[in-house]
Amino acid sequence: MRTFSYVRAPDVETALRTIATEPNAKFLGGGTNLVDLMRENIERPDVVVDISRLPLTGIDELPGGGVRIGALVRNSSLAAHPLVRTRYPVVSQAVLGGASAQLRNMATVGGNLLQRTRCLYFYDEASACNKREPGSGCSALGGFTRNHGVLGVSDHCIAAHPSDLCVALAALDAEVEVESTRGTRRIPLTEFHHLPGSTPHVETALAPDELVTSVELPAPVTTRSRYRKVRDRASYAFALVSVAAALEVRDDTVTAARLALGGVAPKPWRATEAERVLLGAPATEESFRSAAEAELASATSQDGNDFKIELARRTIVATLRDLLTDRSAA
Amino acid sequence: MSTAEDLPVLGAPVDRVDGPLKVTGQAPYPSDVDLPGQAHAALVQSTIAAGRITDLDTTEAEKAPGVLAVLTHHTVPRLPRGPMTSLGVSPPAPLQDDRIRHHGQHVALVVAESREQATAAARLVRVEYAPADPVLDFDDPRAVSVDDPWGLDSHRGDVDAGLASADVTVDAVYTTPDNTNNPLGLFSTLAAWEGERLTVYDATQWPAMVRETLAEVFGVPEVSVRVLSPFLGGGFGAGLRAWPHVILAVQAARDVGRPVKLVLTRPQMFTSVGHRPKGVQRVRLGATADATLVAIEHHSTSLLAVEDDDYEPFAAGSAVAYACPHVVTADRQVRANVPAPVSMRAPAHAQGNFALESAMDELACALDVDPLELRLRNHADVHPALGLPWSSNALRECYAVGAERFGWSRRPARPRSRRDGHWLVGQGMAGVSYPWYQAPSLARVTVTADGGATVASSGMDIGTGTYTVLTQLCAHLLGLPLEQVRSDLGDSDLPEAPQAGGSGLTSALGSAVADACERLLGALLELVRDDPESPLHGSDPEDVVAAGGGLRRRGDPGRGETYAAILARHGRPQLGADGASTPAQPTELGMALAGAFGAHFAEVRVDEDLGLVRVSRVTTVIDGGRILNEKTARSQVIGGVIGGIGMAVFEDTITDPTTGRIANATFGDYLVPVHADVPDLDVTFVGEPDRASALGVKGVGEVGLVGVAAAIANAVHHATGVRVRSLPITLDALL
Amino acid sequence: MRLNVTVNGERRQADDVWEGESLLYVLRERLGLPGSKNACEQGECGSCTVYLDDVPACSCLVAAGQAEGREVRTVEGLAEGEALDPVQQSFVDAGAVQCGFCTPGLVVAAHDLLDRVPDPSDEEIREALAGNLCRCTGYEKILDAVRTAAGAR
Repeated sequence: MRTFSYVRAPDVETALRTIATEPNAKFLGGGTNLVDLMRENIERPDVVVDISRLPLTGIDELPGGGVRIGALVRNSSLAAHPLVRTRYPVVSQAVLGGASAQLRNMATVGGNLLQRTRCLYFYDEASACNKREPGSGCSALGGFTRNHGVLGVSDHCIAAHPSDLCVALAALDAEVEVESTRGTRRIPLTEFHHLPGSTPHVETALAPDELVTSVELPAPVTTRSRYRKVRDRASYAFALVSVAAALEVRDDTVTAARLALGGVAPKPWRATEAERVLLGAPATEESFRSAAEAELASATSQDGNDFKIELARRTIVATLRDLLTDRSAA
Repeated sequence: MSTAEDLPVLGAPVDRVDGPLKVTGQAPYPSDVDLPGQAHAALVQSTIAAGRITDLDTTEAEKAPGVLAVLTHHTVPRLPRGPMTSLGVSPPAPLQDDRIRHHGQHVALVVAESREQATAAARLVRVEYAPADPVLDFDDPRAVSVDDPWGLDSHRGDVDAGLASADVTVDAVYTTPDNTNNPLGLFSTLAAWEGERLTVYDATQWPAMVRETLAEVFGVPEVSVRVLSPFLGGGFGAGLRAWPHVILAVQAARDVGRPVKLVLTRPQMFTSVGHRPKGVQRVRLGATADATLVAIEHHSTSLLAVEDDDYEPFAAGSAVAYACPHVVTADRQVRANVPAPVSMRAPAHAQGNFALESAMDELACALDVDPLELRLRNHADVHPALGLPWSSNALRECYAVGAERFGWSRRPARPRSRRDGHWLVGQGMAGVSYPWYQAPSLARVTVTADGGATVASSGMDIGTGTYTVLTQLCAHLLGLPLEQVRSDLGDSDLPEAPQAGGSGLTSALGSAVADACERLLGALLELVRDDPESPLHGSDPEDVVAAGGGLRRRGDPGRGETYAAILARHGRPQLGADGASTPAQPTELGMALAGAFGAHFAEVRVDEDLGLVRVSRVTTVIDGGRILNEKTARSQVIGGVIGGIGMAVFEDTITDPTTGRIANATFGDYLVPVHADVPDLDVTFVGEPDRASALGVKGVGEVGLVGVAAAIANAVHHATGVRVRSLPITLDALL
Repeated sequence: MRLNVTVNGERRQADDVWEGESLLYVLRERLGLPGSKNACEQGECGSCTVYLDDVPACSCLVAAGQAEGREVRTVEGLAEGEALDPVQQSFVDAGAVQCGFCTPGLVVAAHDLLDRVPDPSDEEIREALAGNLCRCTGYEKILDAVRTAAGAR
């Protein structure tokens, strides 16, 4: 780890001022990702601004049935919160599906939004990585790609986004509130993360001087929602494929569907094609399969991750089927 | 003279004597030890797999805060390679020239005041390479291969004729990947020189070997080297060699004139301390219609480093697993620019058994006979190669008890015939014949003025329970309560014991302790027999037993005296005796030396949609001869079974196909089983004390792992109808 | 920087702490508490688990500055004098310890689980301890230990 200076921000204003004046500064929330990346020499800030004591830890109900989640809410607190568990089961399940208890106790909502890829080449200083070192190339291409993306990838980067929480948030039309000395703005979660294109190092819409202060979830279209994470181990592993889904069915017809995929794309992947096919379709296995086919139609794979395309299709179908048949999911 | 017969200590499920130290965080592992004035070291490793270093610039690193020295091939003197050990050659000495033989090879060592400073400065060492195109896999035409590396290839009968005479044959190729030992404890070396005296706290499974190696490499007498490893955070074979980083830490301590501590990082654990090498195996089996094996042919190829060796005869075990007239086994190794492999829990057998026992399952399917029945019909009643009776063999009982406990008879014959919702449920089994292994051992047992006893040995406890079983054994043989016996282990200054490895330490060291106890009792008896003041004066040795903390007259426990009393009266602070054990010789005994036997019965659930494999229960029955401690032995086997589950469905060390880098060298990316993966486990011991072992012990450290992968693969086939011949079995293969 | 932290009920101070040091490093190298283990330093094995303000965390991923003014409880702080905590005792009794390197982290994680969920189901135990890797025991006896400790508390 390089030498850096450490500043503890007593309030949001100081945090924003510091980040605005220091050219190479990073906010430190729970530290579970940043400290690891700094030790690996992948993140090399000159200044670390510890924001972990800022009062951004509330989970509040909004008028109209939504909920506002402070950026520094710990993952474990989020998953356990009654409002979240009852209205957004998919969020609670996604959080609990991620990492380990120890990490969830430290990891924050804001940090989850900024979690960096687990690409095995991104993590290795000696490998070429356009995300880490723009223009250096991509060692993952032609390498070991079992964990890489099949949707939204480019010739410059095929890394998959690692977050579970973000997949659920993407499905639920969450909005991210960010603040800087210039003011406050809101970014839809689905626009918060960027696809790599030719600039994989630009990962989010967040400006260098902006702080994520909260995430807002609108009132749920249905509380029948679920997160399905497919991974090699029964617990504590990154997703090969994950699906966040909310489904409302009336008279055997899909009246609302929210679907997002994890583990398959460089960003939390809102499955708009699948949603389009589902809306108004009969709530049957055939419709689910058609939706899955539509969503994966644009998928491209490497030798090592070809299986993800079919796995994603099947996981979509299985998750929707579970939502349809399992009354307890309601 | 004999010892008390029915003490409850031996065999009892006694609590681990080092348990309290470990649950309170007080047990000193090598990385926990600090010496006054110590400096810290960090490694710089190669980022290419083959070629040469063209420039190595340490200027910046040397200027970094706290840096004391940077060792490179320019600074390290020419060091000899360590000695040939009973397990093979020593690794090449580090930093001897500019050649790169694998990705992750050590190219420099930075020594600084603190670990963080050393790590930071290590990143400042600039290395320029002239890379060569590395050989990374079997199929590279440039790869050099070694046939029959150990002279273990075997031929019996005429395998071609056997196959020709078979009604049913199986011919299949099985692949197993690199696995990494990954003990939880990061390997660590703390070296301190005082003049020509060297003290090293090292993460090793074999302190005596490290002492011998360091003495030879650094040109000092063995007596001036002391290697300590009283506690080790696991090893699984990784601690069976004096690795290059150990040599470097010792060299660094000599260079800076201070103790130097080097703790590997987790990624470095993947490249610096060995791994289970990948392999390709072809098995051909032939059987007559009545399910009698008439031919076994087993060929293996495994991967080896370019300038190192590794004992990994995958196929050798197949020569003795079944009664069969026509057998060929042959092993081959291929050299590549990969880190050196090493024994990893059940070396060769873990892989070889997977191939053989998978093929047996395929044969059972082809014959339409129950897989268990096939094994029973071809059971090796005598040693198949020697024709001698086994020194012990309860494999049939393993099968019978296992089948009963598992409910094997209720298993439907047809694959894909049971389901639970979207889960396909399947059951499979495998048998295990683990080889006998033994090495000579010494031990000392001493009774002290307080009436207690101490066991002393350089042998160590990798977590298996050596401290506990030796304490039990000594307490049993000397008639002492457990609390009055202490074991001092893992110190090369103590009587030499072999490595904690090969499932052989308990028998070897235990037998030496038993011998020492017997000699000690003999010496004590001599003291009292000629002593008119002793209540045992003039006693015939046959009439004296060790009990109640001393010597007692048989049948008259009131007549006797404690060790404390004996020593006090004779003015001795202590009395010790050295014991020894030597391996049995099969020809002298007229029997074939048996290792442990076992049978595994596994049930898996496979998600029909997603291909997910979950192991739901495993029944394991082991013949380990006499079990000295039911609790620690059971834990050994359970740990082995979970290790086998890891091998079967998770563990896969990935080498980048272009660079030769281990791509997944972290616990986040190299998956080992976690709590949530643990199925219902049922472990039972059967069998009798082994006739060829002084204690009747066979060792259970590895047998629990062997066969699990095949049992699971066979269960996956039974669940899905899909035969997966490549480990690990992940969902990709079952979609 | 100077770091003030309460460890196992005692106010401790460490001077000249480098900003890049982890809480684990401070505990082991500066405060003489090697009970918490470094087995990956990447937050992936749980061996360094300590209570940080009553919540278990991987101390290897806690930057030293994050611990300023906070309360830390390590495996060394669980026993009351000579008397082992019921979780520690049950680990010994059940044979849940082998090499013991993962044990300190596991003991802390299990201690926390039973504080929050006095009578956990097997599934809850398995999931709660999934972040604590063990390579020796096969976990089965650890499950037994936690069940026993639940009964004893």
